[in-house]
Amino acid sequence: MENVEKKLREEAKGLLAEKKVDVVVGYEQGTLPLTATPCFITTPEEAERLVWNPFCVQNLAKFVHDLLGQHHEAQKRVKPEAKQKKVVGVVARGCTTRSLMIHLQEKQYNRDEIVILGVPCGGYVDGRKLSALAGGEEIREGSLDGGKIVVKTVKGEHQADLKGLLADNCLTCRFNEPVMADIETGKGTPIAGAEKEYEPVTAFENLPPEARWAYFEKEMAKCIRCGACRNVCPSCYCRICFAEQSQPRWVDIGADPSDTQLFQLMRMYHMVGRCVDCGSCTAVCPMGVDLRKFLKKLDKDAFDMFGHRAGVSLDEPAPLGAYRETDKEDFIFEPAKKIEA
Amino acid sequence: MTDKESAKEWEPKIVAIVCNWCTYAGADLAGISRIQYPPNVRIIRVPCTGRINPFYILRALQEGADGVLVSGCHPGECHYITGNLTARRKFAALKSFLSYIGLEGDRTMFTWVSASEGDRFAQVIRGVTAAVRALGPARKLVKGI
Repeated sequence: MENVEKKLREEAKGLLAEKKVDVVVGYEQGTLPLTATPCFITTPEEAERLVWNPFCVQNLAKFVHDLLGQHHEAQKRVKPEAKQKKVVGVVARGCTTRSLMIHLQEKQYNRDEIVILGVPCGGYVDGRKLSALAGGEEIREGSLDGGKIVVKTVKGEHQADLKGLLADNCLTCRFNEPVMADIETGKGTPIAGAEKEYEPVTAFENLPPEARWAYFEKEMAKCIRCGACRNVCPSCYCRICFAEQSQPRWVDIGADPSDTQLFQLMRMYHMVGRCVDCGSCTAVCPMGVDLRKFLKKLDKDAFDMFGHRAGVSLDEPAPLGAYRETDKEDFIFEPAKKIEA
Repeated sequence: MTDKESAKEWEPKIVAIVCNWCTYAGADLAGISRIQYPPNVRIIRVPCTGRINPFYILRALQEGADGVLVSGCHPGECHYITGNLTARRKFAALKSFLSYIGLEGDRTMFTWVSASEGDRFAQVIRGVTAAVRALGPARKLVKGI
């Protein structure tokens, strides 16, 4: 990791010095111990702020889309001869590159508008697991040394293996290596649990429908509709989200549980074949809603039904924007002859 | 509507979202052929099944429909060539997702009825009505329950 960080800073510095990019989106040391926060580096000197460690959580593709989207919007009001191109460099792990790939598939920007600094990833630390380790106390100090995490709180010191604190999605990650990169900063090792990625989904599918509904209802009841999951999701980039549209008003803003259920259902449904399982939504959810249980199902369906893995290849469009004549039809209702109703 | 008395009087409310070119014409044919089918279905005509936002289906369920039927042209016969083929993918994913969260599978139905299949249209409505009747009134995703 040390070497990756060093290489990353050098490369970012070089890119900025040579003016190959206008900004590098990366992670810097967070203000609290054992955290990292997204940052925007615009000068070569600042590149020293970049870090790469298991506390880098958020999917940065979201910021790339925001920056380029705003730039494109601003350029609309500029005379043709004065138009400027903006290039964004981005520190990207496997899931971030897949999100970038989705943006490229969906023609949100061109490949030459981004420079991908690929980083190897061994997973990131789940904030909830870390806080459970600290016994819910405020973490005063913390350190990560050779796979061991030590946290200090007012009540004492706790330590644990890094592996045990990794987020669930990282434990079964299939694409921890960048799927595309302009600059590689190191090689990682494949994650062993990738073939088990759908096990929780299969287990859930085998529950009776009433139990599944009860779980869904319970999880959705936690949701306060703050929109953090949507705001952080790189695949959620509509300028006006259906949740805020008023003509038509797709989802009511009341406190009825069905409104929240519908909002979440629809947001998740928009992720068919577009969710890269980066875990950003669950990481930022203030209420700890188990969104992944449902999102992973859509991912599984996209693969089972349409043979599609989100954001892996530029030639493969999102599954719901395409079709095959041989698509499965087993869900189509066939009336039996002579039913008396 | 929970007590037994009102359950006896309960009739399923079914929203059928159908495409203008095939199923709506099929329903018309069923009508002019005087084929009898249950009156539980409210038909909404849309240009093509590809035009149906999955939110229509969820919204119908939320607003109190006991079942939603979506019907369009048979694959390969779409007036807009491929509208129903993309719709087929959308609905396959939607139906699977709704069953996953625990909604009864028969609340949302998808089928194809062509303009010449008045008889099939009546059969479909009978089948859907019977299936939804068997499930009883909707309790999930409904507003105000």
